[in-house]
Amino acid sequence: MLTINNLVKHRGTREILSGISFKARPGRVTGFLGPNGAGKSSTLRILLGLDRATSGSALINGKPFAELHNPLATVGAALDGFGAHRMRTGRAHLRWIARAAGLSNSRVEEVLEIVGLTNAAGKRVGQYSLGMGRRLGIAAALLGDPKILILDEPVNGLDPEGIRWIRTFLRERAESGNTVLLSSHLMGELAETVDDVVIIKHGTIVADGTLDEVIGNHSTLEEAFFALTSENTGDVV
Amino acid sequence: MRAFNAELSKLFSLPGIWLAFLIGAFAPALIASLDSIAQKEEIIAGVSTRLSEVGYIGLALGVQGVIILGVLAVSSEYLTESSESGGGQQITTSLTVISSRFHFLLAKAGAVTVISILLCIVAIMTTVSATYLILGEYAPAFEWSRLIGAVCYWTFTAHLALGITFLTKNGILPLAVLIINSSVVSFSVLLYRVTKLAFYLPDRAGAEMFMFTDNTSTGTLFDGFHTPFTGGLVMFAWVLVVFIVAAVVFHRRDVAA
Repeated sequence: MLTINNLVKHRGTREILSGISFKARPGRVTGFLGPNGAGKSSTLRILLGLDRATSGSALINGKPFAELHNPLATVGAALDGFGAHRMRTGRAHLRWIARAAGLSNSRVEEVLEIVGLTNAAGKRVGQYSLGMGRRLGIAAALLGDPKILILDEPVNGLDPEGIRWIRTFLRERAESGNTVLLSSHLMGELAETVDDVVIIKHGTIVADGTLDEVIGNHSTLEEAFFALTSENTGDVV
Repeated sequence: MRAFNAELSKLFSLPGIWLAFLIGAFAPALIASLDSIAQKEEIIAGVSTRLSEVGYIGLALGVQGVIILGVLAVSSEYLTESSESGGGQQITTSLTVISSRFHFLLAKAGAVTVISILLCIVAIMTTVSATYLILGEYAPAFEWSRLIGAVCYWTFTAHLALGITFLTKNGILPLAVLIINSSVVSFSVLLYRVTKLAFYLPDRAGAEMFMFTDNTSTGTLFDGFHTPFTGGLVMFAWVLVVFIVAAVVFHRRDVAA
């Protein structure tokens, strides 16, 4: 369970997040939607202890990230970019992460297999395509087999096959009781994957509910999104 | 311990680190060889005034290997990926894998310490061998206490590089300043012309752990000023201050900042 409670973030004089609250529950895929610059990545960064909140809390199973003993076994995250040094091979990147979590090299080979990167594991990350880099990020997130996954724009750069793969994969994770929180600006892809939707605009939550609740009277999630983010009306919950 | 293993694994899988090893292992021997060749005649004639520094000069000027090591250990975390690949940084991954920033910092410092010590031992072996090869029976005896001083000097230098890079988040500035300072123009030599406080700069004070042990005064910067122990203590104090400042700044700083 991920719990964001009244989160405020100031950067300089700007208010990035203005007291946002929402939850991502076990057994469900929660889609965190918003235009670029709305505060999605800032929220995820605070949740993962990378940035500090000005006030409010972001908890993982009731604890702030800094208090997790072996974070990789609790929460797997893939944020913007590959999160890897371009001169290291994909396999070497996963191996140092495995060392940090006390995992074996055979687990590295397992996750490479899961994300379909086994053949490219010996290549330097700098030679990876955007899609391969995203897969590497997801492989890193999966290393500790965590119950919670946090993915920032996971379908960005993936080819149609990759998008289908991640959609199936995230559904399977949620159906086996795991918590999945993913941010995206690709409505079409998200509508087929998520159970719950949280929409953020200018650092404020403008909709929070199940997919059906958020779509409401609109014909698609995309229409609901544009209606909510352009007029700032129709709060669901 | 896991974080420490991860840091070692990171360093050994970074191609740039092998350049640090190469320079660290052989630059001191090369400098010591050139110095020995230049002084050979004077040493054989028994008129050399710098006999006590033969060989050690290589270990003093050849610290670039550990400077590269200390800088790369941190700058590699902050190297920004191309905008096409999302502009991420490895530090994001590192801090989502190890939840305590202080443990992360200690693990990195620990890995750099171990590699610096090993690298300096290799450098001592190549430097002593090169000096004996050139000077033969005229080569001075190498004292354990001074060699241990050199190991400390290398380790402290690596930590200064590491701490400064945590503050700058970018390797270019610390690499340029520290390498130029250790090889081309030493800031302490320049400052010495103005004030004796120059003797308290980390490179000058630290070097006294194994250099400037000749007691004959020449009235220059190359006279001994501190005892080897005090010199080491002064340098260690610098390392401690830089490390504490780096730890505080790193602890408070947003990764996105």
